[in-house]
Order: sequence, then structure tokens, then C-alpha cells
Amino acid sequence: MSVETSRAAIVGQYKTTARPIKRRTLSQAQERGKWWRFVLILVICAIVLVPIIAVVLLSLEPSLGSTARGVTLENFGKIFSETSVGAWLANSLLVTIVTVVISVTVAAPAGYVLSRGRSRLVSGYSLILFIVQSLPVVTAVIPLFILFAQIGLVDNLAGVTIIYVGSTMSVAIWMMAAYFDSIPITLEEAAWMDGCSVFGSFTRIVLRNSLPGVLSTAIFAFLLAWNDYLVAVVFLRSDQNYTLQIGLQTFFQQNQTNWGLVMAVAVVMMLPPVLLFAALNKYFSVGGIGGSLAGR
Amino acid sequence: MTTESVIGALKKARSGVGNAGSGKPASERERRRRFTHSRAFVFFVLPSLILLVLLNLYPVIYAGLQSLRNGDLLSAGNFVGLNNYIAMVQTPAFWHAAGFTVVFTLVGVFGSWAIGLGLALLLRTRIPAGGVFKVLLLLPWVVPVVVSATSWNWLVATPQSPLPVLAQALGLGNVLFLADPTLAQVTVCVFKVWISFPFMMMMMSSALASVDVNVYEASKVDGATAFQTFGRITLPMISRSTYISWILMTIFCVNDFPSIFLLTGGGPVNSTQTLVVLAYSTVFQNFQTGPGVAIAFMMTIVLVIIATVLYRQIRKVNIE
Repeated sequence: MSVETSRAAIVGQYKTTARPIKRRTLSQAQERGKWWRFVLILVICAIVLVPIIAVVLLSLEPSLGSTARGVTLENFGKIFSETSVGAWLANSLLVTIVTVVISVTVAAPAGYVLSRGRSRLVSGYSLILFIVQSLPVVTAVIPLFILFAQIGLVDNLAGVTIIYVGSTMSVAIWMMAAYFDSIPITLEEAAWMDGCSVFGSFTRIVLRNSLPGVLSTAIFAFLLAWNDYLVAVVFLRSDQNYTLQIGLQTFFQQNQTNWGLVMAVAVVMMLPPVLLFAALNKYFSVGGIGGSLAGR
Repeated sequence: MTTESVIGALKKARSGVGNAGSGKPASERERRRRFTHSRAFVFFVLPSLILLVLLNLYPVIYAGLQSLRNGDLLSAGNFVGLNNYIAMVQTPAFWHAAGFTVVFTLVGVFGSWAIGLGLALLLRTRIPAGGVFKVLLLLPWVVPVVVSATSWNWLVATPQSPLPVLAQALGLGNVLFLADPTLAQVTVCVFKVWISFPFMMMMMSSALASVDVNVYEASKVDGATAFQTFGRITLPMISRSTYISWILMTIFCVNDFPSIFLLTGGGPVNSTQTLVVLAYSTVFQNFQTGPGVAIAFMMTIVLVIIATVLYRQIRKVNIE
């Protein structure tokens, strides 16, 4: 595949103008099997979502030792009033939001260089990013634990945030670069002619037109930080510093697990990423990573 | 702006900035512009570079050195040469974990790819409420793995759980999804495919979206069957994205810790232990830092070599 067509493919991901044409040409033959496919995908969805539906249903059932009948929100009241779930939720939100902000701020300029720069050094940087992405997190976690223990970052939310920012870097930079590729450089060149600095053209022209790219990167960073388990389980030691991921495990220590409460915490845990995705999924594109990896 | 002019601009971008030898001798002004560019670019890259050095390069070097010592999490210990590696390579647990890592990765990559591609093809066609299904099918990937592992545990872990009860009712006998070593391996692999297929679906959807529809029209005119169209046109057209998605998923699977650890903890009798889980339990449960780091470091070396080779391969595929 030539450079131009691969570029066109990347651009194509963000261009919706090609769609109506495709729909019209494909639809005629497809109209027939439409309902058959609808049923098929409905069945697949139902099977695939069983574990998630189970979580929601169980969280609404009266828990052990409860007098309530039928559907109840009692479990949610209980976890917030009787356990530290509220504090853990606040910790998770804090860590995740800080990670998202720092990660986008750092990745955007780096992605810009990856998108516009064409020197040997830039290719080298791209390779480094790929290698970093392939490193096992366990390898990094052990030495960082030893290092962070010396500087007081173990059992500290700042410590895990730093590690999350580090682990988002490669993919975040690729995502930003993939989006910047779809913005024509002529706009910046015109600005440079008018005496605008590189930084000025980056913030005022490129970044201002990159909301979908920024959102895509932010969603990715959000998911990574919110869903992490390994870093949190190693670094967070005391109850008041737990994120929800670690906090949930404390519910399993009793002889008999109170599934109603566990599933209520699980619902609290999956709600933010699910809502975020439901609202912004049209901006989220992992396909760009591929183009970004191969394009340079 | 038309697509042509965008491509033209990108072509210019590719050959222009930061690249000497674009044919014409550069003017003084041009040269100065390039200089300011490269200086600005250094500042653009610097923050991310510092993070990568601190959080990736430093730990890897440290791990490499620590794997040659007999220390623990608190003290550096004495230099013992390659003893940690030799000791580890001689244990059957290591080779078992290495073997299961390969199986887990192969099933994870190709299982999730096949399902992801199938769904991407299905969702590409016009379906009532297609957009809703697209979001619903992404949920396994979006939901935190802690939640899904908890839910799967509830579904399969004990004989009183729903799935074993269902199996009993269907006359399959007492199915122990997580207590039987082989079945636990299957369950863990299925779990990984369940988590990963939405990622593949997204990758394949965007690859399919960039295939020129005229090609399908032409093949239909020439009388190609659906099967021929898929094998001869669709697959080759998305081969580059497929290749990249396999590589990324391989990395994700080899490095995956939580989906195994939370579901089985590596058990029963270590049957579902992968190298990552083994490294974790060696360091944080048996407190043998040296051997644990040695495992992680061996994985690192193998992955870096594979990553470098594959990276060059991707670029070669891209150029042809």
C-alpha cells in the first residue's frame, strides 16, 4: 500500500463525507437480510452482556439479612453509609481526572512532533514508544515500588497517578498524532508566513481544531486509569487511600460474600466509564493507532 | 476542502518539515524556520521523554541490575551473577507458565480477532438500532476488569453458581469451571477473548470503513461470490490493520495480569499461571525479588526483540 493511500485511510477515519455514498451502494442487496441480522446481533448481544446484566440485577436485589422485597436501592444506601465506598470513589475520580489532564497535556505536543516531524530522530522516538508499550508493567512496577518507597510515594495517590500517566503515554501520543495527521499543514504554514511561532500555531490552529482527537485520547487515559488493578494493588496499602478497584476486594474477606453489596459497588465502579463511553463514543477511535504506528 | 488537497498537504508535510534534501537548496529564511522548528519540537517532546525515561527506562535498567542480585524489596543484596536466571529456568513452574502464556496469547489474539472481525462485518451492514448495538458490544472492554472478573466469578466459581447449575440441569454433570485445571485454563482464555473482542471490533471497523466501496461494486459485476469477495478483497484490503491489531493484542495478552489474577489467582495448582502472574507472585507473595525480576526481565528482552522486529515489519508492509 502506498503512502498516499494509507494517509487517505487515516484521513478517511475522521471524514464522514464518504459514508452516504457507501450506504447507498451497499444497501440494496442488504435490505433483504436486515431483520435476520438484527435478530442475530440481538442474540449475540444478549449472550455477551450476561455478566454485565447480572451485576446490575444483583445490585438491585435485597442483600443478605434484609427485610426488603423486590427491586430495591437499599444496597447502594448501605455501601455509601456503612463502608468507605464514597471515599474510594473520590480517590478513583481524583486519580483518573488528574491522569487524563496531564496525559493529554503531555501527549498532544509530542503527538504533534510525531505527526509533522520527518527526521530520523522522530522515527527513533516512534520506535521507542512502541518498545515502551510492549514492556510488561510488572517489570516497571517492582523497581518503581522500591524507588517510590524511598521518596514517600508508596501508599500515595500521587504515586499511582504518575505511573498511570506514564502508562498512557505511547497510545496517547499515537492517538494525538493520528488526529493531527488529518489536519492539513497548509493552515500552519500560512500562520508561519504571518510570523506566528510554532507554539502559537500549534495551540491556536492545530489544537483548536483537534477536539475529537483530544477527546479520544482523554477517553483512553480515563479508561486506563479508572480500570487499572495491578498498579493500585501494589502501591496502595491503607484503607483511606484505596481506589474502588482495591476497595471492592475487601468485601470478599467475610466467610459469606454479600453479593448484593459487592454488585452495588461494581455498578458504582462501571457507571463512570460506561456513561462516558455512551456519551462520547463517536469521538473514540482506536483505528487511528494503526495508521499512526505504520505511517512513520 | 477536498480529499485530494488534504492528501497533497499531508504529502507536503511528510517531505517538508525537518527534512533536509527535499531537492531545492534551502534559502536562509527556510533554514532559520527549520531551526526554530527543531528547537520548538525539542520542547514539545521533552515532557513525554522525561516521563518515559523516569517511568520506563529507569525501571528496566534497575530491574536488569536487580535480577543479578539476591536482595529483597528493602535491601539491594549481594551480586549473584546469573544465579536467579539459572534457578528460575530450572523450575517446572517457569516452563509451565511460559507454555500457558503462549496458549493464552494465541487464543486471546485470534479468538478476539475472529469475533471482532465477524461483528465488524455484521455491524457494517444496515441494521435497525445498529448504533446502539455498537456501543453495547463495546461494554466488555469498557467495564473495569475488576467488575467483570467479579461477575464471572459469581457466574461460574462455585457448584451453586448459575452456569454450573445450568450445566447440571442439562445433564453435563458437575462442571467445575475454575476448580478443574484444564477447564480453568479454558475459562481464563474465554474470559480474555470476551474482554478483548470489542477492541478488535473497533480496529476492524475502522479498517473496513476505509476500504473503497467501488471495489465491491466491481467484484459484484464480475460475479464474485460473497465468500470470494471476503477472501480475495476484504481480507487483503484490511491486512495491514489486521497485522497491527494482532501485534497490539499480543502485547496486551502477554502483559495481562488482572484478568488471570482476579479470576483464578493463577490456580488451581498453578495451571493458569502466566509469566506475569508468576513474576508478581514471586516478588509480592514469596518475596523473592531477584528471581521475580529475572522472569520479568527475560519477558522484557523477548518482548523488546519481538517488538522491534515487528515494528520494522509493519513499516515494510506499509511501504510496499
